[in-house]
Amino acid sequence: MAAESDAFVVEGTFALPYNYFAGRVGSTWLVALRDEQKIYGVRHPQTGKVFVPPRQVDEKDFTDLTGDWVEVGPEGRVTGFTVIRYREPYQPLPVPFGLALIQLDGADTSIVHVVRGEDLGQLSVGRRVRAVFARERKATILDIAHFAPV
Amino acid sequence: MPPKPLSEELIHREHMARFPQRWSTGPVMGKFLKALRDEKRIMANVCPRCGRSQVPPREVCAVCRVAATQFEEVGPAGTLRNFDVVYYASPDPVTGQSREVPYATAYVELDGAKGGATFWHELHETDMTKLRRGLRVRAVFEEDGKRTGAITDIKYFEIIEGEA
Repeated sequence: MAAESDAFVVEGTFALPYNYFAGRVGSTWLVALRDEQKIYGVRHPQTGKVFVPPRQVDEKDFTDLTGDWVEVGPEGRVTGFTVIRYREPYQPLPVPFGLALIQLDGADTSIVHVVRGEDLGQLSVGRRVRAVFARERKATILDIAHFAPV
Repeated sequence: MPPKPLSEELIHREHMARFPQRWSTGPVMGKFLKALRDEKRIMANVCPRCGRSQVPPREVCAVCRVAATQFEEVGPAGTLRNFDVVYYASPDPVTGQSREVPYATAYVELDGAKGGATFWHELHETDMTKLRRGLRVRAVFEEDGKRTGAITDIKYFEIIEGEA
């Protein structure tokens, strides 16, 4: 017979190795964040649609998009958002912070990024935000430290 | 804007995400794990209706669905009933590292287990051609002071040389 006193607590870890290859298009974009502090997109040669982040080919017709790089932002508008207010060990940042879809000026698609500064309770769809670049940049998406309300 | 040449520098990121976990063993698994840690004994429990062993033990008999409250020691030796040879290792969920391959896992019918119940663990053998059903194997425990109350308190099973 097992008793309640036989139970004990196990502390464990769940580890996930993660290996990310940005590829030539993604690398071009990340290197520009690091070295130029500029955000680029690629423009479809026929439809004119600007994709940010850039991609090799169009999602529908597979046209190569990498011949026409355009600078976008650094300002844009929030097209969707949530505010993270709870603390968990795996959160990448101290709370609270916003996670928002941001359509940069000149872009037709939105990127997901962090919104900080100002009262996050005031965050709304349509809010204007501006990219704040990290001082120390390593060619990752966090070379944009966060977006701040304008 | 002139055409932007694609970067010659290729960006690659390696990252290990770690998620802390915390859970209770419950009384039945707790009894099993404590017996491994404190006594180097493998405890099964026995169904009062069908009489089969369960190892590791569980609250109810998986077949009869009645509470299985009687515990019995089984092993530490047993008979290899089936095995798998692994050539493609998934990452260890605790460390995130992938281990050396090939390695083998074993389904061991521990001595004293009833109803053909087998216990699944690692089989320590580098020569995979030696493996066959019916081999006699035994549990090798982690040394004193290093056992934590985990299934890894049994390091692995090893072949008992000279026994059929």
